[in-house]
Amino acid sequence: MALLQINEPGETAAPHQHKLAVGIDLGTTNSLVASVRSGEVQTLPDVNGEHLLPSIVRYVEGGVEVGTSAREKSIDDPLNTIVSVKRLMGRGVSDLKTLGNNLPYKFSESDSAVPRIITCNGNVSATEVSAEILKSLKRRAIETLGGDLEGVVITVPAYFDDAQRQATKDAARLADLKVLRLLNEPTAAAVAYGLDTGQEGVIVIYDLGGGTFDVSVLCLKRGVFEVLSTGGDSALGGDDFDHAIAEWIIEESGYKNDPQASLARLLMNESRRAKEALSDSAEINIEINRSDFKWSGVLTRSKLRELIEPLIKKTIMACRRSLRDADVTTDDILQVVMVGGSTRALDVRKMVGEFFQREPLVNIDPDRVVAVGAALQADVLAGNKPDDEMLLLDVIPLSLGIETMGGLAEKIVYRNTPIPVAKAQDFTTYKDGQTAMAVHVVQGERELVADCRSLAHFELRGFPPHVAGAARIRVTYQVDADGLLSVSAREENSGVEASVTVKPSYGLEDSEIETMLRDSMDYAEEDMKSRSLREQQVEADRVIEALDSALNADGDELLSKQERQTIDEARQELINAKTSDDSGVIKAAIKSLEKVCDDYVARRMNSNIQKAMQGHSVDEYISQDQE
Amino acid sequence: MTSDILTCNFFQLFDVPVSFDVDLDLIHQHYMELQKAVHPDRFVNASAQEKRISMQQTSRINEALNTLKQPVDRALYLLKLKDIDINFENETTMDADFLMEQMEMREALSEVREKDDPLAELDRVGNEVKAKTKNMMNDFSSCYEADRLDEARELIRKMQFMQKAKKEINDLFASIEDEIY
Repeated sequence: MALLQINEPGETAAPHQHKLAVGIDLGTTNSLVASVRSGEVQTLPDVNGEHLLPSIVRYVEGGVEVGTSAREKSIDDPLNTIVSVKRLMGRGVSDLKTLGNNLPYKFSESDSAVPRIITCNGNVSATEVSAEILKSLKRRAIETLGGDLEGVVITVPAYFDDAQRQATKDAARLADLKVLRLLNEPTAAAVAYGLDTGQEGVIVIYDLGGGTFDVSVLCLKRGVFEVLSTGGDSALGGDDFDHAIAEWIIEESGYKNDPQASLARLLMNESRRAKEALSDSAEINIEINRSDFKWSGVLTRSKLRELIEPLIKKTIMACRRSLRDADVTTDDILQVVMVGGSTRALDVRKMVGEFFQREPLVNIDPDRVVAVGAALQADVLAGNKPDDEMLLLDVIPLSLGIETMGGLAEKIVYRNTPIPVAKAQDFTTYKDGQTAMAVHVVQGERELVADCRSLAHFELRGFPPHVAGAARIRVTYQVDADGLLSVSAREENSGVEASVTVKPSYGLEDSEIETMLRDSMDYAEEDMKSRSLREQQVEADRVIEALDSALNADGDELLSKQERQTIDEARQELINAKTSDDSGVIKAAIKSLEKVCDDYVARRMNSNIQKAMQGHSVDEYISQDQE
Repeated sequence: MTSDILTCNFFQLFDVPVSFDVDLDLIHQHYMELQKAVHPDRFVNASAQEKRISMQQTSRINEALNTLKQPVDRALYLLKLKDIDINFENETTMDADFLMEQMEMREALSEVREKDDPLAELDRVGNEVKAKTKNMMNDFSSCYEADRLDEARELIRKMQFMQKAKKEINDLFASIEDEIY
């Protein structure tokens, strides 16, 4: 109970201690970790001085390789080497077909909705593969910074839906990282450019990475970022440029068969090399000499443009749509920020510049800019800058709805609504005597449920029968600051309730995660027990310390004698419980202390709000109301 | 406890007078100040209960902003505060002139693709919708201030029609642009 948190800046009693926090850009092609060290933000290199960690995981007998070493084997061992796993995050078995034509992996036939890739080291889910990348970055950070991490900010494409965000959080849990916040990548980029302290106005973030394209229209006002709109394509990126080139090579060579996994990978690598080289020269020779594939030829800059132009046009279309969603025109735009390695392609810069009618910002390394912004935000959230006023407000990227009669999706929370948000809608029954209702939660902009993404199903059962149309079922959607959804339904006449935290069909069940954590080498069961006991003891100390400091500050002011006594008793019980060696006992005592403090905490928070509103007091109106 | 984010009305929340003509800049400024005080990012290391309260309060502030920001939602909310029934679902009658106008506009929209410059034509219809909506908003404001609430209520229904038209125009823009580019 960190009641300290809401103290005015400077009131904090304890001397300020710098907490280690990092920002992680978990990318499709590469991942990075960055941190603020002695006031400066840096991406952290590995022992070889490499900042980018290729997001590639290779499973070998009894072990895992991550990064460059895995990439080196990707051609020889394609089935055990997982690349671009981000594209699979939060995806279900049924999604594989739409993604599938380029995936060389074998998937296990399982009854679980989570697709699992068969490797020589067992079957793994996308979440587990991502967790390996996170673990590798975590190790790097701990070694470089010399201490345990207080928490991380992980970036996700603004376009990520609920399932994908949840999968990302799950991966962090598997890597034993505390997520301070999931941050939209474009927002992080704007922070990195320090646009939060610059001129106020509309900023467009054009982010073309390896596997995803995002465009975000942000509005900066009074030091606060607001996301006016987000758009993009979660399956379009520089990989597709490589693909277009690879297909051109295959066509030119007259090769008729379906290329095997290792050949396909080789062609993709050659294509990428050619594409990158064309940023500096007008043409490039390509030569492939394998027993099953021989070809050499020249790729010119104009040919490249011809190949990738349709893809760039797709991104421009998304830009146009986002501007309209945000209700701004190209004239309103102050800055255009380029993010993602694929924005190095000259054609991209040119076409984007033409569309927005201004030179895009490219001076921060487009591969690192997101990690840099995430690190800055992690520093703030970890509490290293108590005076920093920076606050990032985010919106929900895709509308959340519910299935209604006839397979239609009715929107409950519209896209671009600032989060967190709660929205309730009333429904009724359509048959006499109906005592149950199925709730189907969907996400997307389309009218038909079939065209939206299915997030969860649950049932509200056992309410008393009514005539059709008489039951009143209130369905509430609550989206938290990370963009994660929970849904509850309640029949208002009887009070029957049901709810679900959307752990959609594609996420991992909590129990699955616990099993994985337990299975992982890091913790034996005994360790888990003593670890959780230690955690509760620390938490108890924190709660007591925070409470004491709060009581000192305004306990007399805000509490009656009796309320104070109740709190003091619960406080004493927690002090007694602390000596127990059962973490459950401590946890229960913390809970009950928190419960008796509920009103007090609310009052403190309200008085804090009044301070925020300063001159304009909310009370005036309220007292008028009550007359 | 006096002031409470969770129970006061949306106008009180942002400390602005209860009226259709609101100062959106001021609302926005107060919105930001409130957000800075209650947003979950300020409670990352706080207890579960503080997090919960913070989330409830922020949610409500967001709901309030969303409601007041959109003219139609703001108008509906004003009537709701006056205990006026705003469930229009079963109402099918509408003044004939208005319906006629609507039909003409739909016709214009359905023929847009045949025009020489469809985007310019869409712009024209869009501007018309904008101008009409603006007039309706002014009318609503006067009716509301004069306590002619039945008239005000009828205006909201019309504004909803215009809102739908605006969405259709935007969708048309998107699909025509997709074809061109």
